[in-house]
Amino acid sequence: MESAFTYTESELVQGLKAKDQKVFGYLYDRYSPALYGVALKVLNDESNANDVLQEVFLKIWRNIDRYDESKGRLFTWMLNITRNSAIDTLRSKAHKMDQKIQDIGDDVHLYTGNLTVLPSVDHLGLSKVLEKLTKEQRIIIDLAYYKGCTQEEISKVLEIPLGTVKTRMRNAIIQLRNLLKLV
Amino acid sequence: MDVQRYISSGIIENHITGLLSESESREVLSAIQQHPEVKAAADALQVDMERYIQLWAAKPPAGIKRQLMDRLHKNEAEDPITAEPETFTANTNDDTFSEDTGSGLGLNLSQLQIWQYSAAAAIVLLLGSVVMNIVTYGNSGNYQQQVVSLQADQASLLAERDALKEQLDFAQKENGVMKDPSFKWVRMPGVGKHSGIVATICWNPQSKETFILAQALPEPPADKQYQLWAIVNGKPIDAGVFELGSKAHTVQKVKAVDNAQVFAVTLEKKGGSPSPTLEQMFVAGKVAG
Repeated sequence: MESAFTYTESELVQGLKAKDQKVFGYLYDRYSPALYGVALKVLNDESNANDVLQEVFLKIWRNIDRYDESKGRLFTWMLNITRNSAIDTLRSKAHKMDQKIQDIGDDVHLYTGNLTVLPSVDHLGLSKVLEKLTKEQRIIIDLAYYKGCTQEEISKVLEIPLGTVKTRMRNAIIQLRNLLKLV
Repeated sequence: MDVQRYISSGIIENHITGLLSESESREVLSAIQQHPEVKAAADALQVDMERYIQLWAAKPPAGIKRQLMDRLHKNEAEDPITAEPETFTANTNDDTFSEDTGSGLGLNLSQLQIWQYSAAAAIVLLLGSVVMNIVTYGNSGNYQQQVVSLQADQASLLAERDALKEQLDFAQKENGVMKDPSFKWVRMPGVGKHSGIVATICWNPQSKETFILAQALPEPPADKQYQLWAIVNGKPIDAGVFELGSKAHTVQKVKAVDNAQVFAVTLEKKGGSPSPTLEQMFVAGKVAG
């Protein structure tokens, strides 16, 4: 079922809007590992992550007409759907906010089993990137990217002033950008 | 708009991670359309996020794709049982044939009937389950909508509460300054053609904290700002610029002033000047004692 050819992002969007199942299959092959990684990291539970992943791709299929290319990348849109679905699942499972923060505070690597075997991802690169970020930088990035925390919430959780969160988050992202160039 | 300050404010990060309210998001989108630098920053942040998240990619179990594609097919096919009537016809033919051949085949006949009944029952159950699925799915959509609207309500209440808290904090701070006896109040009446206007300084010579209440200054042109000066032994020392607009009626903190005999306000270019433009002096006042 693996597609031998590739689509550009706007071809993908057009195909999805035309309800082309072949394009959808390609979309799944291309993006499911990244989105599954997000669901696993938020939920830390494979069976819940499987459910969320299916729900996310059904939402993408049904709601593709709501996606507006001028507002941002397709990946960003899909990522936000994934994170929100995963967080909804977390909430419905009566997990508490401080528990999810506890998890991330204890171990920012969180999910280390079953990491990808995709050729595009280089695990050596991952550890190189993570080593160069401080623990605090990783926590700030994870809270924002995965846990859906605003900078205001991060400030409360980590008990540091909002201004400091802003500076540190920017520094963390700039550092991340430089590190990603090396991978 | 100060584009660099906007970019470093963190609002674009909140926007791309989907954390802003709808109205805030609209503002960011219009900033992205108007300023190429803001657009470049937003694009770069999205690429960073995608690459970081790709680092954590994990291959999902192989069966999920098939399940998913099956569910899509199910959704697409409106009428999943068109093939069924033919099966019935075949069974009936069989049945007629068996009856004709006489009673010797009674056992086979009843087995056949059992199969027919089971098949019919299975189809009824299947139809029932399809209907239940549709009903349940419809309900879950309702609940999801309710959850979403409740979440939105809660978020707006939280935002309101935070805004009120900020106002309260500010009012308490302002109140504290007013009551503190170590603060000196310096009235600065208008100078020259600006007579009739007034601004007030509130200065603590011990802690050096300085505030200005500029309620009666005219609104400056867009490219200008008022700047406060502390005059020490005839020399003007910069005490910072301040804004009017929504802040005109509040006590604004300016730079700490060590020592001053006179305070004065001039109109300067945006961001302030190293030395005052004396012909643009609006108000000035002597410190008592």
